[in-house]
Amino acid sequence: MIRKALFIFRLVFLERSAYRVNFCLEIAGGILSILIVVCLWLAVYRFSGRAELGGFTLAEMITYLLGGGVINSFLLTTAENPETSQAIQEGSLSNLLIQPISPYWVWIFRDLAGKSFLGLIGLSGYAIIALFFTDLLVFCTDPLRLILFAVALTAAALLQYLIFEALNLLAFWIENTYGIRFTMRVILEVVGGAIIPLSFFPPMVQKAFVLLPFPYLVYFPMQIYLNKIDLAEILAQLARIAVWMAVLAALNAFLWRKGLSRYTAMGD
Amino acid sequence: MKALGRYVTLFVLLCRVSLMRQMAYRPHFFLMIFGKVIRMVLLLLFFQAVFFKVEALGQWTFDQVLLLFATFHMVDYLMSITFQRNLSYHLPALIQNGNLDSRMILPVNLLFLSSLESIDMMDLVSFIPCLGLLAYALYRLGFAFTGLQALMYGLLLMNALMFLFAVVLIIATISFWTTQSAGLGRIFDDLTRIGRYPLDIFEGFWKFLFIYVLPLALIAQAPSQALLGSLDPGFALYAFGCSTLLVVLAVGFWKMGLRAYSSTSS
Repeated sequence: MIRKALFIFRLVFLERSAYRVNFCLEIAGGILSILIVVCLWLAVYRFSGRAELGGFTLAEMITYLLGGGVINSFLLTTAENPETSQAIQEGSLSNLLIQPISPYWVWIFRDLAGKSFLGLIGLSGYAIIALFFTDLLVFCTDPLRLILFAVALTAAALLQYLIFEALNLLAFWIENTYGIRFTMRVILEVVGGAIIPLSFFPPMVQKAFVLLPFPYLVYFPMQIYLNKIDLAEILAQLARIAVWMAVLAALNAFLWRKGLSRYTAMGD
Repeated sequence: MKALGRYVTLFVLLCRVSLMRQMAYRPHFFLMIFGKVIRMVLLLLFFQAVFFKVEALGQWTFDQVLLLFATFHMVDYLMSITFQRNLSYHLPALIQNGNLDSRMILPVNLLFLSSLESIDMMDLVSFIPCLGLLAYALYRLGFAFTGLQALMYGLLLMNALMFLFAVVLIIATISFWTTQSAGLGRIFDDLTRIGRYPLDIFEGFWKFLFIYVLPLALIAQAPSQALLGSLDPGFALYAFGCSTLLVVLAVGFWKMGLRAYSSTSS
């Protein structure tokens, strides 16, 4: 299985780097949009005349925006695994079903490979930007926190996959899943904490958000990195992520089984 | 006049065909509209969260930023309803697969067809809440504007669309040589988004750049300032001149691109 996974990773990396100039320009566009938000927050701090807003100092906010930007642009919102719904709608799932590896594994490896590729490219891009803001960045040096941050990030990538895969599997029942995925992506950007820390929202709204799995995608990893959450709370939150992942994995398995039982494809 | 009537008829026909195509997947159609409305509401929530912490961004109060936000989204929707996707995505695809040939032999202006072949009816429906937001912003501002200010607002909105059309056309035309321009399109999308923030958030060089060199101020800031009565008349002239010049350049570049086109179909 590992060999197959590595082969899929290699394939995805080759596919993604086919149109290099175009790809780099797209990356530059993503970085630009984060820079604009950084400028907005620099102005907000400047005009407010306060050193701390919503529990964040300016340095913490800039770090949050850049870190959240990497997670959001390159690991989360760019990957909605549309291949699943395309394969179901177009009937190419039939070919995948007769191959010696389950399509579900192919999709998950392709998704993780895509996220790794974009994540690596994004990190290098953001590293260049970070050079301009070195005075305004918070660097985490605690190895334990960095390990927990990496764990939270991996969990976020898997959680995002499971959320979108469940929506993609609805293609067994409905003709087009793009509308649902688009709506989810829009909600994720805000409720996940990608464009603003959730602590900026009114307390009632924050309470509603934490009942959902979305804050674990960006807000929670960045809280770990910025030392805004203690160790006991991190472990409790990781346990909650595990529960969410189990629930979503069960939902995925249910949709996959039920969907396959009603799947038909025509053609020559 | 007869030709104009023919193009109006054709435009109505393109709208009908687009509606039929997009309504083929009805749940998808309505979900997309829902998603777009949600996106606007969430962005509004974002601005509200910012203004919980700060009274004004430079010269801009919350109510004025609301007007700027609504104006930006009106221009943005009008662009995406009409030419943006056609030029940014469909035209490069037609060039790449050689299907532009079949459009070239039709008895209709190719630029008209390339710009308006597919009308985004989802965005047309999503445009309505945007108008509601504009009405709400104006209500909060006490409808304090004169007829002349309203007229300037309308003219500057059309000017913003002309400016954006020219930029999108220039980017799309590049694909006659490269067959790909999605990357540049993405940078353009991100750059134009600057227009929804008051440009007071930038300082020094960047402020000068976004107001005069890449005149993003003319997308939403100039129309909003015209309605608020704070627009410098000199800048209004600059905005009209800039757009006119850019449209002339864009059309010239499009003609150059057409001459460089070589079909790839079999």
